[in-house]
Amino acid sequence: MPGPTAILFVLLSTTIILLVVLLARGSLTATPAGKILAFLAFFALPMLCGFWGLNEHLERSKQTAFCLSCHIMEPYGRSLYADDPMYIPAAHFQNHRIPAEEACYTCHTDYAMYGTIRVKLHGLRHIYMQYFGTPMDPIHLYDPYNNRECLHCHAGARSFENATHMALLDQIKANQLSCASSGCHDTIHNAGSINKVKIWRAQE
Amino acid sequence: MSAVGSKLSMPFQLSGILLVIGLCIEAISLFWIHPLAFLAFFVLGGLFLGAGVLLYLSSIIIHGSPPHSDDSNSN
Repeated sequence: MPGPTAILFVLLSTTIILLVVLLARGSLTATPAGKILAFLAFFALPMLCGFWGLNEHLERSKQTAFCLSCHIMEPYGRSLYADDPMYIPAAHFQNHRIPAEEACYTCHTDYAMYGTIRVKLHGLRHIYMQYFGTPMDPIHLYDPYNNRECLHCHAGARSFENATHMALLDQIKANQLSCASSGCHDTIHNAGSINKVKIWRAQE
Repeated sequence: MSAVGSKLSMPFQLSGILLVIGLCIEAISLFWIHPLAFLAFFVLGGLFLGAGVLLYLSSIIIHGSPPHSDDSNSN
């Protein structure tokens, strides 16, 4: 069964062909049926293609390849292959605890109401800074990493509900104790020194 | 929609051309997973598509009830 992108391409091609035919044979629009056809070709189908295309691009922007296509993100992408289980992003990525195709988005989205819109606006800012501004050096998060993003998956999991976590659960939920910077799970990307770390190569 | 002979009137032709360009930009941008592809789609494609649709709608409003092809042929 063809995927949504293939269907979108068919729709785009159909709309373009319809427009070209109507541009070449304007007399087709003289009849009521022709006027409906023109409305479809000049308004309804382009609008549909536009919104579908926007949705397609937004979905693609979740892909790991999309995030790592900017040069500045290369060390962060490399850190996903660190051959060290202490590296939290690498352990999640290599063991498929998160979807490998959407690794960056899964951990760096905002699991709050309107969080998706917020991260998309951040994404537009990143594009602006990449091509028209000066990216921050070193790059860092806008806000300290929120435990909510960890608990989105881990809360309720058997592996998470051990004595240590349960004793600290209130503090973790209230963000008073960060999962990432409290001496517990604090080896994150370490992009600055990633070239000194052994890199894991996936078996084909 | 007004047609002069076998051709559409100028605003509709321009609208159609803008839409074709916008749709082509959208199609090309979908071949590439990159922030620039998104930018091309959103800024360039959106500009052409938006302008084409707005021009079409405004032409319908300005020209009112579309003449029959016989009327337009008599122009």
